[in-house]
Amino acid sequence: MSGAANGKTGPSSGVMEWIGSACRFATDKTDFRRNLLVNLGLFAAGVWVARNLSDFDLMSPQPVT
Amino acid sequence: MGSVLAAASPSPAPAAAGASQGVQGLASVPPGFTMPPLSSVSPTSGQQTADAEPPLANPGTYEECHRKCKEVFPLQMEGVRLVVNKGLSNHFQVSHTVTLSTLGDSGYRFGSTYVGTKQTGPAESFPVMVGDMDNTGSLNAQIIHQLASAVRTKIAIQTQQHKFVNWQCDMEWRGEDFTAAVTLGNPDITVGSGILVGHYLQSITPALALGGEVVYHRRPGEEVAVTSLLGRYTGDNYVATLTLGAAGGHATYYHKATDQLQIGVEFEANTRMQDTTTSFGYQLDVPKANFLFKGTVDSNWMVGATIEKKLLPLPLTLALGAFLNHRKHKFQCGFGVTIG
Repeated sequence: MSGAANGKTGPSSGVMEWIGSACRFATDKTDFRRNLLVNLGLFAAGVWVARNLSDFDLMSPQPVT
Repeated sequence: MGSVLAAASPSPAPAAAGASQGVQGLASVPPGFTMPPLSSVSPTSGQQTADAEPPLANPGTYEECHRKCKEVFPLQMEGVRLVVNKGLSNHFQVSHTVTLSTLGDSGYRFGSTYVGTKQTGPAESFPVMVGDMDNTGSLNAQIIHQLASAVRTKIAIQTQQHKFVNWQCDMEWRGEDFTAAVTLGNPDITVGSGILVGHYLQSITPALALGGEVVYHRRPGEEVAVTSLLGRYTGDNYVATLTLGAAGGHATYYHKATDQLQIGVEFEANTRMQDTTTSFGYQLDVPKANFLFKGTVDSNWMVGATIEKKLLPLPLTLALGAFLNHRKHKFQCGFGVTIG
């Protein structure tokens, strides 16, 4: 199970390694420039969410089912 | 809750200057018909009105540029707080605050606010005197007064029991399309120390305002000056502000999605502390339910929210708040009741 099907676990293990390295990159607090880039990206994502995903009307009547 | 602001005297409605009133007596109108409205722009003078640009408005103060976004974020609450506000007249209001806390100090604080009779606008009267003192004798007081139509001054004092901790005086000049302010903080002639802060904000276009800040700090044997620049762009339903200086940068984005929903995004970078933070906050206001909710999440794995609910018809406001720091495994919550 662990290493028998190398063909199937190869790409998935590569993806998992990439996700793990991306998480370590994003959460590493030791490098100031890295933190700056990550937080600038978060700021840009937050602005995008605010401008594009907030146009719902909370006071509109609910649809009749 | 009694209002400390003087009641605004209703301004007389401006006389209607309809174009149709300008041609009385030139033609007799049959009964049942009305003269069609004439265009206010004659063909010969069209060039004059087409080239006229709207004058630039005053951009406000330097400190208010980031405030709109900051107000969306919830304030951290801890412990129990009971606040009783009582308006004694249109000019004078007092407040009593009892705080019970495990992290900070518990105690009682008495506050008072006086608003003078010199009314300069529908919601502005001067002088304004605000002060509060706690049970240990620590005082916070400030006086704001408008010396002239464009000049405003403020004096603020803060003491910790019997020692003066902060004392500052600032003067603000509001021009037609600019605002300039000078603040003198903790001046000490005997030692030769003090802090001098200068602000300037200029409207470049109706949407764009640019400004700068200079902070000069002098102590015996040491003097430091720090400069930062500010830019603010105001759209139809958003405000984007950026401050850059040697100490770091600060960017805020405020977006009013609907009348109920406001969103704020904030980015701070401190080059001295080598730290950066991004925060996302939103405010949900439902006046029909007398309900106000604020939530926030930031890049330091901090999640927080506050709820305010008015318990009408009683003059009561209930506030609940909770903040959870996942990284430091810390949690704090607060509960508050405001009467009046």
